[in-house]
Parts: sequence; structure tokens; C-alpha cells
Amino acid sequence: MTQGSRLPDVRPGSGQPAQLADVLERVLDKGIVIAGDIRINLLDIELLTVRIRLLIASADKAKEMGIDWWQGDPFLRRGDGDGSALESRLRRLEERAGLPVEEEERSER
Amino acid sequence: MSEAAAALYVYGVVSASTQPDGTGIGARPVELVAERDVGALASFVPAGEFGEAALRERLEDRAWLERTAREHEDALERALAATAVIPFRLCTVYESRDGLREFLSAHGPALAGLLRRLDGRVELGVKTYFAEAQAATGEPQSGREYLLRRQREREAAEEAARFKVECARASHERLAAAAEEARANPPQPPELSGRTDEMLLNGAYLVRRDDRRLTDAVAELESLYGPRGVTYEITGPWPPYNFVPPEVVGT
Repeated sequence: MTQGSRLPDVRPGSGQPAQLADVLERVLDKGIVIAGDIRINLLDIELLTVRIRLLIASADKAKEMGIDWWQGDPFLRRGDGDGSALESRLRRLEERAGLPVEEEERSER
Repeated sequence: MSEAAAALYVYGVVSASTQPDGTGIGARPVELVAERDVGALASFVPAGEFGEAALRERLEDRAWLERTAREHEDALERALAATAVIPFRLCTVYESRDGLREFLSAHGPALAGLLRRLDGRVELGVKTYFAEAQAATGEPQSGREYLLRRQREREAAEEAARFKVECARASHERLAAAAEEARANPPQPPELSGRTDEMLLNGAYLVRRDDRRLTDAVAELESLYGPRGVTYEITGPWPPYNFVPPEVVGT
């Protein structure tokens, strides 16, 4: 593990400060979002948009590279998808790469 | 601060028996606004500074955004050390105590249920990086060598692409098996991660606070994939931002 590691039994605040990107990713994008009288569309905010664009761009880039497997993965999105998304994506990737398509069944959870 | 001129900035929801402590946004004290079983950790803030127009402007201020994000997170981490927390997103503001209590009342059973579910759990982040192998250097000695080298580079790139998919998926699957719930988020680009190595996996895992299985799994994966240029980084414990289902507040 690298220096950034904080073990679960480390009390919050006693380890190294979290990287800002990790904090922003969570406080801007996660948690309860439909609450409060003031609802700012964070996507409208220019500075934030830069950060959020980076996050979205990273998803697009991952897609290009074929590592957006979480998008349709039934293991990650239960009850959503038919279980073959990753396989078909891998197949497309392999075909694009001109490789023989593997016949073996990949284990799906 | 007099309530007349104040709005309520909410960090998150805890059980009504929680003792609030410390300070939050702008070093203002964190208080508990309770309604039956649940309570909101909140600070009174000047309504003028946290209205929509004012916030819109302040969120553009990078220094303010960073400070506020950390104050929000710190208030939640302090609460997390003692109790279960449902984290709210940054800049969730209520215009009055009554408005906040109405929210707590309307969603009380769902919030209490989620608090029971999250009790004793924390979120851990695991980021996985891949250092791409360096291509051969030096001038090729012949056209044939140049072509061979190009072919090898192409093959290596194809192999690396397959390996990255496989490693990210296998890592997440192994980590998810060591956690109660798991989520894979889009990997951060280098501008965000601050590292030149490519991020393959940006996962979040809900685990029991004292459970070491996830860290054991990371060590196991590191010995498996480390020799191929993969490193793992654990972050947290975090409030369970990634494990608040949207339907908890009826969306």
C-alpha cells in the first residue's frame, strides 16, 4: 500500500488529510442531493464545472479505453443489465484489436 | 446568531440522541436539530451569505470552496467517529428550523432505517493505479527492426488494454466480496488524482468499522498485480457518501 493508505481502525482526522479531489468528488456528487430549500445546480457553477467536467471526461476516456465496465455491470448495478455487457464489450475490444475471440465463459456474479 | 437572520446549513443526519460537538462551516458551532428519532447536524449561517445568488458566487471562489468542502467533511468525520451518519451534499441549506424539521418528519422512518443499516459501518475508498511499461528507446538499426518494434509496441498496447480491464474488474470484484456494499466510480484523470500513473479503479466499499477483510484483500491484490505495475491506495474512513440510496428521500 502507498503512503496515502489509512487503515480502517485509524480514527478520522488522525491520518493524513484526504486529497481534495477525493473530498470534492464525495461532497459535490454524493450524499443526499434532494434536500434543502436552496438547491443550486452545481453543474451551473463555472469553477465546479471544470472539476465536474474532468470527472465526466474521465468517464468518457474510460469508455474509449473499454474500462467503463461498471456502466452496465449487473454486479455493480443490480437488476439493471443483462449480464453480457462486459463480455460483449470485451469482444468488441478484442475484435477491434484483431485478436481471436475467447470462447471460455467468463464468470459472472 | 439570532434565528431571524439565519439559515441552517446541514451536514448530515444522525440519531436524535447524538451529542453534537465542535465547529463546522466558518468555524460556527455544529448543533443538532432533532425530530423524533432522527436529527440533523447543522450550523446557523447568515441567510444572506448562503442564499442562492450568494452561494453561486462563493462556489466560484476556489479557496472558499476548498475550505468549505473540508469543513463540511471534518464535521461529518467527527460525528462518524462516534455514531452512524447519513452525509448530505455540500451546501444543503434550509431557510428555517421549521423547514428542516418538516424534512426530518416527512422522511423520518426512511432516515432512521438507513441509520440502522449504516450503524458501525464506514466507507473506504480504494484507488488502483497502473504504471505503463516504457517502450524501447534508441534509434532502430534497420527498417526491419523499426517494423518489428512497431509491431511489438502495438501488441504490448493491446495486451496492456486487456490487462487494465481485467485488473480493474478483478480487483473490484475481490474488494466487493470483502465488503457489504460496493460501488465503482469513474477513475479520476491525472489532473484530479495528482498522479501521472493511470487510475484503473476508483472504488468505494461499505465495511464494518473493525473489519480488516478489505485491507487484507488490498494486500492480496497488491502482491498479485504489484509485479505488473499496479499500485493500490486506500482512503478513508469516510462517511458513507456512496451508500445513501436516492430513494431514502423519496426521489
